[in-house]
Amino acid sequence: MNIHLYLYRYIIMRTRDIDKEQLVKQKAIESIVKSGFEGFSMNKLAKACHISVATLYIYYKDRDDLIIKIAQEEGLRMAETMLQNFDTEASFEAGLRVQWENRFNYMMNNPLISVFFEQLRSSTYHAQFMETFKAHFEPAIKQFMHNALDRGEINRMSLEVYWSIAFAPLYALIRFHNEGQSIGGIPFKISDEILWATFDYVVKALKK
Amino acid sequence: MSIYLLMENFDHILLFKTNCKTTADKQLLQSLLKKQEGVDEWNLDLEDCDCVLRIITYTLNQECIIELLNNNGYECCKLI
Repeated sequence: MNIHLYLYRYIIMRTRDIDKEQLVKQKAIESIVKSGFEGFSMNKLAKACHISVATLYIYYKDRDDLIIKIAQEEGLRMAETMLQNFDTEASFEAGLRVQWENRFNYMMNNPLISVFFEQLRSSTYHAQFMETFKAHFEPAIKQFMHNALDRGEINRMSLEVYWSIAFAPLYALIRFHNEGQSIGGIPFKISDEILWATFDYVVKALKK
Repeated sequence: MSIYLLMENFDHILLFKTNCKTTADKQLLQSLLKKQEGVDEWNLDLEDCDCVLRIITYTLNQECIIELLNNNGYECCKLI
């Protein structure tokens, strides 16, 4: 066979496989979000993807293996997204702003993912998910915090206190937005003004 | 690198639908497959309705595994 034709065919095959893999991941997340881990099975997933069960088992040992692999990949993807344009040497405010931007964009572009992560949090798969996420995310964020403390920009505090002030407000806004309403059923839609006004209060609370 | 090396080949992964439904079945399978030469890795998915048996082998063929299970009273056929 002509090598160019061969290469062409190979590239087509490969592309299709990647598409199929993507489809499997996407459908798996959709299905878990919709019916939980208990209602999720390899058979149902194969049907939803219009592929044979055997094809799924080529790539994954079993249901647990599939969920863990998807959770780890998503953990890695989230860590990578969160570190985009993030400079560990930046000032505290500038660094936290990038963190907010990245987290906000990630959650907005992947609406199902926050539900999926919540489900993982209360499941037996949580440890494996956090392991991948932390391994990629923690070193950079530790360095950033270390610098901010050294420069005297913020006070030393526990991780829980820090996170509750630094990020919980962002996630509360995203939750209101996703639910379309805030406290007491008041209609709510997020805007840049609301997002960055909240951010300014957060910075005010944390900075010395 | 030769282009051929980049091609994915899954011939070493054998997949079966079985009626091995319980952990007791799984234990029995373990003793059977342990004795069987050529089985590099195996897994039985008890949570799936097809009770999928997944075997990694570079030397054995499907018939060989089907016969092994059938001889021990289990149903086993190729997973499609």
